[in-house]
Amino acid sequence: MPHATAMADTHLLKKDHLKGFLRKLAKEYRLVAPVRNRHGDVLFTVIDDLDSAEIELVEPPQNSLKQFFLPQQERLYTYTISPEGYDFRPAQTSIPPTVYFGVHPCDLYAMLYMDVVFSRQQRDSFYLRRRQGSVLIGINCNTPSPNCFCNATGSGPFLEMGSDLQLTDLGDRFLVEIGRAPGHSLVKRWEGFFTPSTDKDRAAHYQTFLEARGRFSRQVHVEQAIRQLEAGTVPDEVFAELSLRCQDCGGCAYLCPTCTCFTISDQQLDANSGQRLRSWDACTFAGFTGMAGGHNPVQAKTGAIRQRFTHKLRDDVRLNGRPSCVGCGRCVSICFGGTDIVRFVERACQGSI
Amino acid sequence: MAGLATTFGSGAMTNSINEIENAEVILVSGSNTTEAHPQVARRMLDAVDRGARLIVIDPRRTRLAECAHLHLALRPGTDIPLINAMMRVLLDEGLADDLFIEMRTENFLALRDMLHRLDLEQTAGLTGVPLPLIRQAAQLYGRARKAVICYCLGVTQHVCGTENVQTIANLAMLSGHIEKEDTGVDPLRGQNNVQGACDMGALPNMLPSYQAVANQDYREKFERAWGSPLPEAPGMTLVKMTHGGAKGSIRAMYIMGENPMLSDPTLSKVEETLRGLDFLAVSDIFLTETAQLAHVVFPAACFAEKTGTFTNSERRVQMVRKATQPPGECRADSEIIMALSNRLGFCMEYDSSAEVMEEIAMLSPIYGGMYHDRLEQSWGLQWPCWDRGHQGTPFLHKYYFTRGRGHFMPASHTEPGELPDREYPLLLMTGRIYHQYHTGTMTRKSERLSRECGHAVLQINPTDATALGLRQSETVRLLSRRGEITLAASITDQVAPGMVYTTFHFHEAPINLLTNDAFDTGSGCPEYKVCAVRVEKINS
Amino acid sequence: MPQTIIDIYLPRQAKVEQIVVENSHISTFILAFSDKQYNDTFRYQPGQFMMVSMPHCGEAPISISSTPTRTGTIHLSVRKAGKLTNGMHGLRVGDTIGLRGPYGRPFPMRQLTDRDLLFVAGGIGLAPLRAVINNCLDQRDQFGAITVLYGSRTPSDIAFQDDLTLWKKQGVDCRLTVDVAEAGWDGAVGLVTSLMDDLTTEPSQSTSLICGPPLMFRAVLGRLTSIGFVDEHILTTMERHMKCGVGICRHCHMDGKLACVDGPVFSLAELRKLTIMELAE
Repeated sequence: MPHATAMADTHLLKKDHLKGFLRKLAKEYRLVAPVRNRHGDVLFTVIDDLDSAEIELVEPPQNSLKQFFLPQQERLYTYTISPEGYDFRPAQTSIPPTVYFGVHPCDLYAMLYMDVVFSRQQRDSFYLRRRQGSVLIGINCNTPSPNCFCNATGSGPFLEMGSDLQLTDLGDRFLVEIGRAPGHSLVKRWEGFFTPSTDKDRAAHYQTFLEARGRFSRQVHVEQAIRQLEAGTVPDEVFAELSLRCQDCGGCAYLCPTCTCFTISDQQLDANSGQRLRSWDACTFAGFTGMAGGHNPVQAKTGAIRQRFTHKLRDDVRLNGRPSCVGCGRCVSICFGGTDIVRFVERACQGSI
Repeated sequence: MAGLATTFGSGAMTNSINEIENAEVILVSGSNTTEAHPQVARRMLDAVDRGARLIVIDPRRTRLAECAHLHLALRPGTDIPLINAMMRVLLDEGLADDLFIEMRTENFLALRDMLHRLDLEQTAGLTGVPLPLIRQAAQLYGRARKAVICYCLGVTQHVCGTENVQTIANLAMLSGHIEKEDTGVDPLRGQNNVQGACDMGALPNMLPSYQAVANQDYREKFERAWGSPLPEAPGMTLVKMTHGGAKGSIRAMYIMGENPMLSDPTLSKVEETLRGLDFLAVSDIFLTETAQLAHVVFPAACFAEKTGTFTNSERRVQMVRKATQPPGECRADSEIIMALSNRLGFCMEYDSSAEVMEEIAMLSPIYGGMYHDRLEQSWGLQWPCWDRGHQGTPFLHKYYFTRGRGHFMPASHTEPGELPDREYPLLLMTGRIYHQYHTGTMTRKSERLSRECGHAVLQINPTDATALGLRQSETVRLLSRRGEITLAASITDQVAPGMVYTTFHFHEAPINLLTNDAFDTGSGCPEYKVCAVRVEKINS
Repeated sequence: MPQTIIDIYLPRQAKVEQIVVENSHISTFILAFSDKQYNDTFRYQPGQFMMVSMPHCGEAPISISSTPTRTGTIHLSVRKAGKLTNGMHGLRVGDTIGLRGPYGRPFPMRQLTDRDLLFVAGGIGLAPLRAVINNCLDQRDQFGAITVLYGSRTPSDIAFQDDLTLWKKQGVDCRLTVDVAEAGWDGAVGLVTSLMDDLTTEPSQSTSLICGPPLMFRAVLGRLTSIGFVDEHILTTMERHMKCGVGICRHCHMDGKLACVDGPVFSLAELRKLTIMELAE
């Protein structure tokens, strides 16, 4: 937990000056922030016109940052077939340096997780090209939403590390903590917007954190479920019941900020050319593991559902020391059948708490 | 359609989809809801989570049936005896809602007399469902304060489809489970706008808003508005048109967004009919099997490329807005129709779909208050919506039925048009799967959906599979009196012994070469759910 | 972060030098990278696989069936099963295909030194083992006795006949069986386990390498365990659907492990810790 004494390098940004600061940033960066659209939905959006965009910093955006680094579908290569052979050309996408503003702690933790996924075994050039030159400006959550449970996954409501700048809403002003080096240079570059913070501000920050922590409406026993999975004591019936309810829509994986599984397929454009595409996939789909010829090593839906929760709550804890569920609650809001991770945790822990 | 229209006066869901969530008992008949209507299934499962009881009537052990408290696995085509038996139990146990019957319905005595003549044991025997299970289902449904019945094509696609629906309506009226919130009879529609198509008079005997063609007053209203005389006689049903075109009286056809070359029964007859036309025009978003036979094909815009309204299962009229330009020469259906009409000499000049909607509001009472400006500001309005001030109707038949009093229509068992025999010993049912939509015109273009399910499979019980010496996924030949196809066997106890099941999505295995063209005289709906077939091993 | 990152998904062009038809549904494709310098320096180990590309067909993992002791070409033995493998069966000598790799954890050749080796394979399962067998034969003095048990569906399905003949000549104890006999077949009929009845293998000095369909795999495991093989000395290579080949896309998940980077070669001792279909009851 962020403690007042641990924050040496903090500043204040008056709310009145936020737009001015963003306007400066927009001159040198592409700006992405949660924007409420005309239908009332809040989505991370590329902002072209700062004055007409309604930036929303409290209600969590429906999408995460995933799509900006791992697009729902991206072209990896175009290929052509000629008498001489088979020629692949990498898709040349140039990604402008981008500031991602107003990122909630859950989504920031998700970014840190994606960084690991796409560079642990092998460095994924398509991801890293998008990640290079990106600046993350976070906002701590003073009022968690009804489906939020980041308190149970250790990824909120306030952020400990990972962003370049981290903002906390203190009413008429933001407390700005400097995280990584790019954040430092932003504050330095536009010093005029910032004033030094006082002990009073830092005390207010801590008070805000304490209040936020008390505002969660859900108690989700993630730790307990992790222990049960590690001990192998989650009854098979839990997976069977959840898989019966799963409607196979893939919505959980698509909305999840840490579901990074993808597939690669060729799309034929004409007889002699086509493109190789990478697109989001979901481990709950039978075809995810189905092999040529029809054999599937993951038997039935139960195995796929087991994989989804075991990966997030056991395997990633083994690998990274923390679950890859960040408690954002998006799968809770999208799930058709009630097969979301909160339901799993509740069912897994039933009778054991 | 016809079934509910004759009993209640309106052929549509009496409830809103959200109301299903609040029901105490949900009776689902002939609907593979989790696969065909996932958003409705979601409400059912939510209701179960809140303590509702779920009763599923289906010959197959569907996923919903597995979630159900009671699964009545009836013999296909015995819906009427099953529901009749339930009603008899309600009568015997004093669970009929006498006050409701007295105040709101008519013709009850005919039903009561028919039920009293029933031999309960024998009737239950017809269905193959144990009587105690039927009794339990009746008690659950009858005692509930709020109960909904959801049904789908498993009920209607039979020769006695209309009577099946009427029997369901009888059950609801007998128990007084209608005319209330969270309580009613809900036919689930198969497509996003099939309700809208019916509302707009895409029925042989109706003008828009269910104003009968036979009624001179209605005809005159439309004739004045359109400045053109209208035929007095009802038109033809779909299957009649595509099966012989009433013996050659139809010489030209214009087919819009429909693929009868895969979706209609006895495909060989459809092909013969379409090929025999002097002229065939088809508009669709892809070159379908039907479009390939056309003399002229109009490329149509898809939903995202046009503005207008769709009417969903719960009678909700919703706006769709053009999100992107149609590709190439594609045009919205309305533009195609206008251009065609103008060339044919009947002037149609609508500047926008809002203008079309204004005409609909003027001529169709149930859409009387539906204007684009109102629809744009909300999630849509549910008909009937009589005028601009009306807020729409979440559930039907409050205070009185659309037709006045609910009319009991007693029905007795009708045998399917064709039943298994020695030569064709298995009973074939057809339906849908989650990953494909109808004839696959759209969904089969998706690599991902094809990965999940890219070819036709024939569900067959392990007992029958063993008798035939079949292995899992083995390619088999499926034959009926009308044709044969080959497809892969999927050995599963989802189907009972003696039954097989497949889908109609795949042109490589066009199941409607095999299906029977017997149809329901009430609605013209073909009997897709029952025909007799034989399975043969290919490399024996 | 560095500015240039190697593109890990880009296939390299390779030419089909030769095609050996093993049976009606298996062929061995002998390939060389078009870039001669790359081809000369290309190295791999037995048990590793390549991601193979064909235009319009996407990619699929194929295990290398040649031994690294013979440089210059890579052999991929392929059974017709899906889109890509069907596409490969349409290739002719001189055609181009795309390759990237090698990927995966290989067979631990060092641990096999001086041990007697018992290879058990079914159908296309002999392909990855062929890499090990030929490697051992090329370094004959480093390994003990070699036994190959090979099961096929019918006598005409027996693949790698040239190899089998050659191995016999080189002193390998090769035993064949078929599920269904045909006219003229006087060999064994039945499961590959039936070939193990009169084995004289001494389990404490032997390592067994298995590759074949799940049913066969389970049967062989049971048999090996009953004659005294310990889990550490039973090795296998797992077949899974893969898209990236490098541990990112996760299609090849196996209860927390990934076949592409943690495998495809595993010892039975390692597999026993996992809940996987191959070891399900």
